[in-house]
Amino acid sequence: MNATALYGWLAHGVVIGALVSLLPLGGKHRLLGMAAMPLAWFSGLAALLHGFVGTPSVTLLVLAIWQIAGRGPSPLGQRPAWLVIGTAAVLYPLALGLGSFDPYAVGYQPWPLLLAIGALAVVLLRCRREDWLLILSAALAGYAGGQFANLWDALIDPLLVLAALAVVVGQLARRRTAG
Amino acid sequence: MTLPRWLAPTLFALALAAAAWRAPFPVAPAFVPPPPAVADPAPAYFSTALLPTAAPSAHAAALAELADGRIAAAWFAGTREGAADVAVWYATLGAAGWTAPRAIATREGTAAATLAYARKVGNPVLYAEGERLHLWFVSVALGGWAGSSLNHAVSGDGGASWSPPTRLQTSPFLNISTLGRAPPVALADGGLGLPVYHEFIAKHGEWLRLAPDGRIVDKVRMPQGRRTLQPAVAVLDGQHALAILRDNDTGPGRIRVATTLDGGQHWPAADALPLPNPNSSVALLRLKSGRLLIAGNGASGRNQLLLWLSDDAGKTWHTAATVESDADPQAEFSYPALLQARDGRIHLAYTWRRQGIKHAAFSEAWLTGDAR
Repeated sequence: MNATALYGWLAHGVVIGALVSLLPLGGKHRLLGMAAMPLAWFSGLAALLHGFVGTPSVTLLVLAIWQIAGRGPSPLGQRPAWLVIGTAAVLYPLALGLGSFDPYAVGYQPWPLLLAIGALAVVLLRCRREDWLLILSAALAGYAGGQFANLWDALIDPLLVLAALAVVVGQLARRRTAG
Repeated sequence: MTLPRWLAPTLFALALAAAAWRAPFPVAPAFVPPPPAVADPAPAYFSTALLPTAAPSAHAAALAELADGRIAAAWFAGTREGAADVAVWYATLGAAGWTAPRAIATREGTAAATLAYARKVGNPVLYAEGERLHLWFVSVALGGWAGSSLNHAVSGDGGASWSPPTRLQTSPFLNISTLGRAPPVALADGGLGLPVYHEFIAKHGEWLRLAPDGRIVDKVRMPQGRRTLQPAVAVLDGQHALAILRDNDTGPGRIRVATTLDGGQHWPAADALPLPNPNSSVALLRLKSGRLLIAGNGASGRNQLLLWLSDDAGKTWHTAATVESDADPQAEFSYPALLQARDGRIHLAYTWRRQGIKHAAFSEAWLTGDAR
């Protein structure tokens, strides 16, 4: 196995642990989330998820670790969730063959993407979103470390998009209930 | 605990610099130009043989010439296409004939090496690069072939042993739907250009540019007005190459064409060839004589396997030979692979009635009808 395969398998175990820690299990939810990780690795569940959805992004991994660690509210709030969904809404259809331009290809020689991330970092700095600056730093470090051939894969993945959708739908549902 | 304000921007700046340092900045791509055309003096000959059977159902052969001159073949076989017991099999042709096939990629081995579930494997591609023999093959975790991921393994001993396969990252959506079928071509920077295709929702050819270390540094779409699959590429000079594609759209198909004039940076569609394509895989080879050779099925379907020649770099084509023909429309002679060995001998491998892989060896004189 290579380092990317190992990363993907380990990261999926953490993601499964984070999902378990989200369950309404009383005060033991974090402990059960941590216990779920080795179970996911050695039961084959992490490998199954790895086969189905590919390598998780570093963004998702950091959010999963954040969730298990219980370090306060998730950084994946409304605005970041909409940014993830908007990015996916453009990236996935074009990369899957809609039109002739493939934005995913940009991620193999990611100079324009690095410039865009630099510009986003300026905005994050002005908004005092150090949490997302650190998450982007981790994603860039993952790419620099050779875990990803394509920078897009370090930044975003379908499970992260599902999480973002859950955040947006949950917020809308709460507003409707409150209204 | 509150982090100091300078920490996040500093870490970000360091990570951005590291990512920029790692991002590739490859030179403009160019092909290794083909050697000057030389006539093949060999007399006309033609021989065929079925490869030893590996399993009841066999499909999708690939060919390569090893450093020692042996011909290597890989194909997938099992109880039926897509079954869990399907493996990629490998055999070589030496002085004593074909060796017994040996499984070189299985779903279990692929899953163990990639730490990711794999339900089936298929579509091998072989390429010999000096002493290194490359194998690309697809694995699927969910669904049909459209859910394929591309894997890569290398052998340094002529296929006796292989590195654990690694899964290439070629798609942002579940890393699916990149399949290979035809061999790569050599690039001037020491890398390879690998023709692949995408078939989840849209169906089109693609081009992966690989650096000398195997890392993907570019991916280019081969846009066509119709659904196409399985590009096969022949290099004409340092910047110019021709790709032919399987026509997967409705109605009577023709062999589709894409050309590049800039070393593979763009692959615009060109006029389709006046050759039929009943939605089946085609193989393309530039011969040492400079002629181009295509193997593919006739208009009637996969029950007829033909060879076409072009003497003018693909502008015009004529039928050179009928390799197989059966009146039964259910008969299948398909998925050809072509190779010209260093000794000038032309090798063709193809799916024979789904029961096995057949190998034909012939000279260019046999193709052109000299002394036939």
